[in-house]
Amino acid sequence: MELSNLEVLPGRTIVRHLGLVQGSTVRSKHAGKDLLAGLRNFVGGELKAYTELLNESRQEAIDRMVQQAQAAGANAVVNVRFSTSNIAAGAAEVMAYGTAVVVE
Amino acid sequence: MSRYENPQLPDDVNVGRENPLTEFLRLAAGLALLALVIGAALYFGGSQLARLIPFETERDWVGERLAPGSGLPAAPGNAEIRDYLQALTDRLAAQMDLPAGMTLRAHYVDTEIANAFASLGGHIAVTRGLYRRLPSENALSLVIAHEIAHVRARDPIAGIGGSAALLLVMSLVTGDASALSGAFAGVVQRGYSRRAETAADTRAIDALRRHYGHAGGGTAVFKTFAQLRTAHGGEPPALLSTHPLDAERIARLQQAAAGWDAAAQPLVPLRLVDERP
Amino acid sequence: MELLIQIGFFLALLVVGLVAGTLNERRHYRRLREDEAALRGILVFNERRPPDDLPLRTGQLVVGSVVIGEDYFKRIAASLKSLFGGRLVVYESLMDRGRREAIVRMKREAEHLGATMVFNVRFETSSLAEDGTGRQAAFSAEFIAYGTALVPPAAA
Repeated sequence: MELSNLEVLPGRTIVRHLGLVQGSTVRSKHAGKDLLAGLRNFVGGELKAYTELLNESRQEAIDRMVQQAQAAGANAVVNVRFSTSNIAAGAAEVMAYGTAVVVE
Repeated sequence: MSRYENPQLPDDVNVGRENPLTEFLRLAAGLALLALVIGAALYFGGSQLARLIPFETERDWVGERLAPGSGLPAAPGNAEIRDYLQALTDRLAAQMDLPAGMTLRAHYVDTEIANAFASLGGHIAVTRGLYRRLPSENALSLVIAHEIAHVRARDPIAGIGGSAALLLVMSLVTGDASALSGAFAGVVQRGYSRRAETAADTRAIDALRRHYGHAGGGTAVFKTFAQLRTAHGGEPPALLSTHPLDAERIARLQQAAAGWDAAAQPLVPLRLVDERP
Repeated sequence: MELLIQIGFFLALLVVGLVAGTLNERRHYRRLREDEAALRGILVFNERRPPDDLPLRTGQLVVGSVVIGEDYFKRIAASLKSLFGGRLVVYESLMDRGRREAIVRMKREAEHLGATMVFNVRFETSSLAEDGTGRQAAFSAEFIAYGTALVPPAAA
């Protein structure tokens, strides 16, 4: 499955447009990591636990989007977009969406 | 020329397969277990720390009061009987290898509830309700020696240290400190672990033997408690109880008194009788 | 005693939340599947450029939005799960429902305009979790889906 956030895949021709596909997930880290991140917030800097959390979530959101695209018979998703929204302290939703296409 | 279409998509990929209810029950059970383990660890840690407090510090801290905040009558029941208890306590303590500086103070508590307990600072109490039901001085000595053994093992302060550690963390979590004072009020009705009770029994039997030359007459104590408890709805099963069951303790005492000849070594009667109705 | 009443109250809320919330969610999913089947004629893409070879169309913005709130069971189950970390399935279904509902409403607007295609579809989600005093209140979120419907000139 090829992913692109252009509207095209350079050098390839899109033969079928299969419409919107999307994947999303909501995750949280365990309370210990929340606590450490809270402490870290006193001195600033990267909150590694949350970077990791959002990366894992993003990967899962992409996987789920790809699952939909595969079921539709696509071999690429173009114009991929991400969005993240805060759910509660330490929990976030990550979403990925794009248009499933068949390229030659 | 490309084609535009929207084929049917699987609509369930964005929700995990777990059943929320079973997951919730599983996690709730896990959390309860975790709380139990942490609670036990806190209690144990608190008791071990409390044992490090020197006895002198504990005694100075408590002073002359018996179990402050326990709601027991402040007036001594009967001064003569209290002096008798004190004398008996001192005689038994002499047989029990107490560490230097560990002094004991006996109290006679004016209540019909049958009970005996060791409190902080080497205070030992016997209630009128129990005293009147004991058939011999030997039985009374077993009760007192058992409580001395608790003081010697620092069980009262360990118990309070454990509860205080537990309640402190609980009040930090809930933000409500009102339960904290309860750690100090519980000493009167406190039961210790089975191991602590068994150790106290063993030491008390030993003291009885040294003092009277035999361990007879002690079973009456547990028979008294067993009768009282049956009158109040029976004993809890062994697994639920931190006290070794009376039957178990009676068996151990009978075994300890096996070589005792009641005719050659008669039981000593109580020197004083509480004559109030 | 007071503690028992509090625990009883908590458990009652939990059961009410679980039963009512589950029924609600099931009903919503049933309706979503019906609506999605009925609106299958409206095609959605998030590409910005409509095909060049279509007969003349005008573009018109279409929006669908919905606010969905959690039930008490979801709230407690999620905070429990957050202690251990991992996927919050109770919220995943909430977000899934909200987003699909927003698409359905957007498609319905496109259908009213006589369009059969929506391009450049975008999503927006905002959480309404705070109650204004800074304290965490019950979670709810707004979901918006918007895009440009290609409307045939006769209909426009």
